[in-house]
Amino acid sequence: MKREDFLNSPVVHMKLKPSMTVNQLVQQFEKSGSFGAGRLAAACDVYERMLRDEQCTIFLALAGAVVPAGLRATLADLIRKRLIDVLVSTGANMIHDLIEALGGHHYKGHWFVDDFLLYKYHIYRIYDIFVPEEDFVKADRALIETFDEIANKSEKDAYSTNELMREIGSQLKDPESIVGAAYETNVPIFLPAMRDSEFAYIHRVHSHHSEGRELTVDAFREVPEMLTIMERSPHIGMIVIGGGVPRNSVQHAALMTGKGLDYAVIITTDRPESGGLSGSTLEETISWGKVKRKADKTMVFADALIAFPLMVAAVLERLGKDFHRKGNPK
Amino acid sequence: MEEESKPKEKFCGNCRYHNTYEYPALIFCFVQYQKQKNPVVSTLFCCDQWEFKPQGCFCLEDTLKRSGRKS
Repeated sequence: MKREDFLNSPVVHMKLKPSMTVNQLVQQFEKSGSFGAGRLAAACDVYERMLRDEQCTIFLALAGAVVPAGLRATLADLIRKRLIDVLVSTGANMIHDLIEALGGHHYKGHWFVDDFLLYKYHIYRIYDIFVPEEDFVKADRALIETFDEIANKSEKDAYSTNELMREIGSQLKDPESIVGAAYETNVPIFLPAMRDSEFAYIHRVHSHHSEGRELTVDAFREVPEMLTIMERSPHIGMIVIGGGVPRNSVQHAALMTGKGLDYAVIITTDRPESGGLSGSTLEETISWGKVKRKADKTMVFADALIAFPLMVAAVLERLGKDFHRKGNPK
Repeated sequence: MEEESKPKEKFCGNCRYHNTYEYPALIFCFVQYQKQKNPVVSTLFCCDQWEFKPQGCFCLEDTLKRSGRKS
């Protein structure tokens, strides 16, 4: 490259105006092109291209407590509008969805608080969110009974995590529930680390009194289900909130199919230097064959609770209210 | 370290392990649940598996205060 090749795109300084829309703000980010603003603007472009690609199946990988923090209804809306096609999540996020679907709540709290006082009041803290223990207990009880019912009526030897989520989703009435929305719209939910959540405790209590009618969840059964979806998809897109097991489950499936991801947006605050998956760069992921060399991709280092709603709102604005995805292959 | 003295009265609220169901008055007892008995019991209830090992929570104290009783 010559010297002038490095100097052909000046930073255009942001101009902020009253009544700007979210997309107009993101366009100012794009003009600056710098730091997190530039990356977020790029993420909006990648997500928009994923949605306009009629041959793309979009996987959303979800880790970190974004459901109790306020993204629950947003995610349910994305599922209903088919702006994602497959959800791969931690078990905990789905537990928090079910807590609310079964009548419980999460409360605005504070990070600077006497945690032993919370303990004495039976209140759990997730950074600055409070969850009353009774809301967990009531959800546990309802889900233990659901596990009992499924085990009693079922002729199946085992369920995949997706099949179990469908069974639970079929019983929900809450329109803002992620699990309920996924059931209604036939969007798969895979929970590759399901036992690392309250589901493990629920299953433990269920199995104690199941008298031989125990619900079996086969952790490996979701692998061929996920691979089949990818194999049928001409193009594969991935959006990641956080990272962890859900991110790698999507990437690893893309590797196992021998296809690699065509699109990727990662929103995380993790860093690559410590070697963990959540902070690993998309370039590193290319070395494994999980992401195509020329994939349309970007990584945003930001709080997902800020960056993800901004990205979704900007892209929804670009698409307009009459937009419908066509030709989704799943 | 001085061992904490056992309470005079036996209540679910000072049992070794309990979860709250409606703070502070109702407790969800998994011992009852496993026995297929009503698992939602008063904080002032006590079953035959009661075992003193305080959690340091306020359930019992607050229930007694609200019911006008002294511990």
